[in-house]
Amino acid sequence: MNLAKSIRSEHDGADTERNARMEAEIGHILAAEEKLIPSSGFMASVMERVRQEAALPPPIPFPWTWAVLGILLVGGVLGFGAFEIVRLGLPSFRVPALHSFALISAQLPAAFVGPVEKVGWVVLALGVSLLCWLFSRRLAGSGGLL
Amino acid sequence: MNAASSAEDDLTAVEQVLAGDAQAFEGIVRRWQGPLINMAWRYCRDRSRAEEMAQEAFIRAWRGLGRWRRESSFSTWLFALAANVYRSELKRFPTETLTLDAVHEPSRPASQQRELEERRRQEALRRAVLALPLRYREPVILYYFHEMDLAAAAATMSLPEGTVKARLSRARALLRRRFPQLEEEPAVMELTALNPGKEAAN
Repeated sequence: MNLAKSIRSEHDGADTERNARMEAEIGHILAAEEKLIPSSGFMASVMERVRQEAALPPPIPFPWTWAVLGILLVGGVLGFGAFEIVRLGLPSFRVPALHSFALISAQLPAAFVGPVEKVGWVVLALGVSLLCWLFSRRLAGSGGLL
Repeated sequence: MNAASSAEDDLTAVEQVLAGDAQAFEGIVRRWQGPLINMAWRYCRDRSRAEEMAQEAFIRAWRGLGRWRRESSFSTWLFALAANVYRSELKRFPTETLTLDAVHEPSRPASQQRELEERRRQEALRRAVLALPLRYREPVILYYFHEMDLAAAAATMSLPEGTVKARLSRARALLRRRFPQLEEEPAVMELTALNPGKEAAN
């Protein structure tokens, strides 16, 4: 029993020693890498690119003022839209004083009120779309894409 | 040129570049072109690609000089930046490497061809490094690139030294299994005898 144990431990020790020698050899091979010498034009080509980069105009700063205004506008329109949808969808939520077309409907015959309201919404949607387009154009500049 | 004067030169050059003198960057390129190309070479083992990657690293360094916060040395910052560039370049366009299972150790050399075969074997081992999984490959590349300086390799990868050490050990074990005949070479004993302390220390 003891003999088997001692043989095994001797075997393990030899394995460990062998592994250590192999890893040392691997290390030596990987460390002994020949050094590459940069090609003659390397520095010139790097400096050429650096000069090109230096000659470029500074990047255009992001137009935060316009972006904030746009976000506020879009937020306002969406908020108003959501409010109108909820108001029109829920009868108990109806507030006659806030009705968009209250003045118009008071002066028109009942048969015209519905179509006029619809036209009003279409005009509003077109107006918002126009504003969005103008705003995008302003942000994108004169790149020719818009 | 010693390390201190090189560090001073780097600092001066960086300040000049930041003040608007693009030409001052040439000094940085001159001092670091060799190390950056050699580091890239270890990542891809393709000379022209190594130069392209090193050039990209220099351009990124040029653009990002203002972000060097002087907490670490310029070289540490530059190597970390270059390692990031090389890593992402190789992710975009991987090198054509075999899997580790496909790498076979060349047969034992005949005595008359010993030197040639030995070189071939060494090159096969170096190429086998590229077949290691990335988490093991990079520590091996950077540890030997930094001349077995564990702290420098860890700083380049922004990893703790213990993690790098563990990954190195695992990488060596993987390579050892792939190259079982290394130990049988007589050269092994001669070569390890030349440099016994550094490996033992790590």
